Amino acid sequence: MIAALEASRLSKAFGGLSAVDDVSFIVPQGSLTAVIGPNGAGKTTVFNLVTNLYQADKGEVRLFGERLGNERAWQIAARGVVRTFQTARVFPGMTAFENVLAGAHMHLRSGPAWQMLWLGRVRREEARLAIKAERLLELVGLARFRDAPATDLPIGGQKLLEVLRALMARPRLLLLDEPAAGLNDAETAELASLLRTVRGTGVTVMVVEHNMSLVMGVADQVIVLDAGRLVTAGTPRAIQQDKRVIEAYVGQEEGFPDHAGG
Amino acid sequence: MNQAAQIIIGGLLEGSVFAVVGLGFALVFRVTDVINLSQGAFCVLGALSAYTFEETLRWPVPLAIAGAVLVTVAYATALGAVTFVPALSRLSHSSMLMLTAGILTLTTGGMLVLWGGDPYSLPPLSGERPVELWGIHITTQGFWIAGTTLVIVLGFWFLFTRTILGKALQACAENPMAARLMGIDVPRMALLSFALAATIASLGGIMIAPIASLQFDSGNYFTISGFISVALGGMGSFIGAVSGGLLLGTAEQVAAGYISSLFSDAFALALLLATLLWRPRGLFTLGRSRRIDVRDDVLFYQAIVRLNGRGAVLCGVAAVAVLMALPLVVSDALLGSLVITGILFIGVLGLDVLMGYAGQVGLCQGAFMAIGGYVAGILSTTYGWPPLAGVLFAVLAALLAALVLAFATLRLRGVYLALGTLAFGLVIDSFDAGMMNVTGGPSGLVGIPPFRIGAFAFDSDRSMYYLVAGLIVVLVLALLGGMRSGFGRALMAIRTDQMAAGALGINVVRYKLAAFAISAVLAALAGSLYAFYFRFLSPEMVGTPRSFEMVTMLIIGGEGTLVGSLLGVALLTLLPTMVQSLALYKTFAEGLLLVLAFLCLPEGMFGGIARLVSRAAVRRRGNRLMAEAGAGREVQ
Repeated sequence: MIAALEASRLSKAFGGLSAVDDVSFIVPQGSLTAVIGPNGAGKTTVFNLVTNLYQADKGEVRLFGERLGNERAWQIAARGVVRTFQTARVFPGMTAFENVLAGAHMHLRSGPAWQMLWLGRVRREEARLAIKAERLLELVGLARFRDAPATDLPIGGQKLLEVLRALMARPRLLLLDEPAAGLNDAETAELASLLRTVRGTGVTVMVVEHNMSLVMGVADQVIVLDAGRLVTAGTPRAIQQDKRVIEAYVGQEEGFPDHAGG
Repeated sequence: MNQAAQIIIGGLLEGSVFAVVGLGFALVFRVTDVINLSQGAFCVLGALSAYTFEETLRWPVPLAIAGAVLVTVAYATALGAVTFVPALSRLSHSSMLMLTAGILTLTTGGMLVLWGGDPYSLPPLSGERPVELWGIHITTQGFWIAGTTLVIVLGFWFLFTRTILGKALQACAENPMAARLMGIDVPRMALLSFALAATIASLGGIMIAPIASLQFDSGNYFTISGFISVALGGMGSFIGAVSGGLLLGTAEQVAAGYISSLFSDAFALALLLATLLWRPRGLFTLGRSRRIDVRDDVLFYQAIVRLNGRGAVLCGVAAVAVLMALPLVVSDALLGSLVITGILFIGVLGLDVLMGYAGQVGLCQGAFMAIGGYVAGILSTTYGWPPLAGVLFAVLAALLAALVLAFATLRLRGVYLALGTLAFGLVIDSFDAGMMNVTGGPSGLVGIPPFRIGAFAFDSDRSMYYLVAGLIVVLVLALLGGMRSGFGRALMAIRTDQMAAGALGINVVRYKLAAFAISAVLAALAGSLYAFYFRFLSPEMVGTPRSFEMVTMLIIGGEGTLVGSLLGVALLTLLPTMVQSLALYKTFAEGLLLVLAFLCLPEGMFGGIARLVSRAAVRRRGNRLMAEAGAGREVQ
């Protein structure tokens, strides 16, 4: 089977400082892959490279077998690769419900001109999406915030909202950048069950995460980065016993979240 | 040779004043990151106060000047303390830009009330006789202007390089949060910069008054010239402001001397547009670059206005009924004002899509009205086209212009986009006035026929009213359909976070272009209807002041609501016509309302009313939500 994401020998330096150095990995389709590593390990940089926010200095990225060129963000999303951001980036000035709906943008079959004509099929499509959005909000316990400004939600709620918004885009590969940062225990539990549900529907998930218990609980594969280099990749169990990992990451950081890292 | 030297010296003198105004811009921008458009008004306030003290009250000259500066500073400090400074922590940079435009209008309007519309001139400080140097005549006032500028520049240099206060001011700009933590009183520094900028502006105004007569609205000219100077030189740079000012003054005088005085602005503006597009940070900035945030306008959305379905439908039906019945009950004079209100509302509708939904600040709506009005007017007058064909062609022309402008300014965001569109608007203004043979120049295009479709001529107020009202109903319905569906959500997404919008598959470029296109098409439609209604079009009917007025109407009425802006348009159009005695206070009231709207009613009149009518319709940011959630009640 073709991998959802295949990175070969990726390198990226910022002004001589190497952020990602010769990193190769494979994210199999249908898997839930976690990327861990101490602050500055290059985790977010890897995300930014595979979504073309940065251009790689060297190396190649394949999304579902197709080589990544210099596509724009929206073109990558059109390929079924949708990401969230490290800091919650909900759209201010829109309600929580509208934020989730905005995620469905790619799947609207009627364009602006049709929407302006108030056609029946536009209204039906909107109603169908609304039901889906409401169901998602309910699933993570945000239904009561439906019509509140998204920016009024607590930070954990905003992060969950961002995940829902990405899900509305019906991704084939979902990239989540520290979704649990800022979440309380109850919200983290919601997130873990949401991630399992998502994987259950066949979506490939790749997640950068500091929260070790979340990672070890849900991931099939863990990729460990340190100082821009790949340390190892394997099952959570294998990783936990890997000496290099303990030295590079667990030994120093105790696996506790730190929002400033990347 | 002599003539050239004469022109260049004249340009440098004019440029010195631009430089002083520009220095004020740079100062406020350095400390607060805000482009303060009210700057020019303080020049005029200084000069007019000096006139009153010197000529009316017969005070000795030094005392009169000191008094005038003092009056200006006191006024600026008081106004800044209650408007500018409190808004800093609440409004986004582009909203602050509009707020300062409101302060400019307010001050200008106040001066109209106090000094009337006459031009004033101060006597030169050292007599009328020019000095002759190498065969060139230089007015003695020139030395005063140059000297004052030099002293101000040196003072600035000393303040920022040699004093602790300068360091503190600098720190506020670099990182307000860190500055606050270091014990610097950031709001006080902001106020200080605002007042200091007003001080030097008033000095500049007093010095230039003897060689250029000033009237209440000359401030607009100084503001625009001063802002072009800093934009040319580089936003926060003092050296840039001074060099930009001198360059601009010289360029304007040379263009006026050798090309045409009507086109003297166009040259400078083309220079500005090129600079903004090619080097948005200015010609004279080396190395020092400012961090520009990816996201704009996050702070702005203090309220979200959403009406729920059934109530909105009922209100809509009622509104249409009222709209159709109005001509039967109002007087003829009022009906005419209603037509104007309706036409302007069509233009503001477009602006709402661009600003309220897509978040792109457009300060050139008047220019698109001009394109629409002049193209349609000229085609049907000079070339005898049927009016309908003229309108269609005019709309196409505006669409094309909008797409070119949008493509050119794609890279610009927030304040820089505002400046780019403002420059575009000013270029169109100068073409309206400059192309005498085609547009009729400053005196206007006359003899435009009434609008007609086939054999039916819309030559009465009543027929025009129904035409406009019908158009409005169709346009509002269409836009409502788009804005409450995926189109509106895509625009609102790119409004605040283009990166996140792109990550969801929204083609940011395409939607920005669409918003620009809609706003330009509606403005052009409004402009052509305007021309056909008045059967006349002159540059000031569709110029940059009109652009600002339309933004004011939109913000007072309520951004991002489509229908809300009708309240703003009606208020500013109908009040002055219904109460003629208020006409003198119109400018003042416009400025005051804009400032008040930003400070007290961020959701606009429409949002305020919606809040009263239905408590669930408007969500203001705050703790109310948490309280409701805590009470276990489902938030509707």
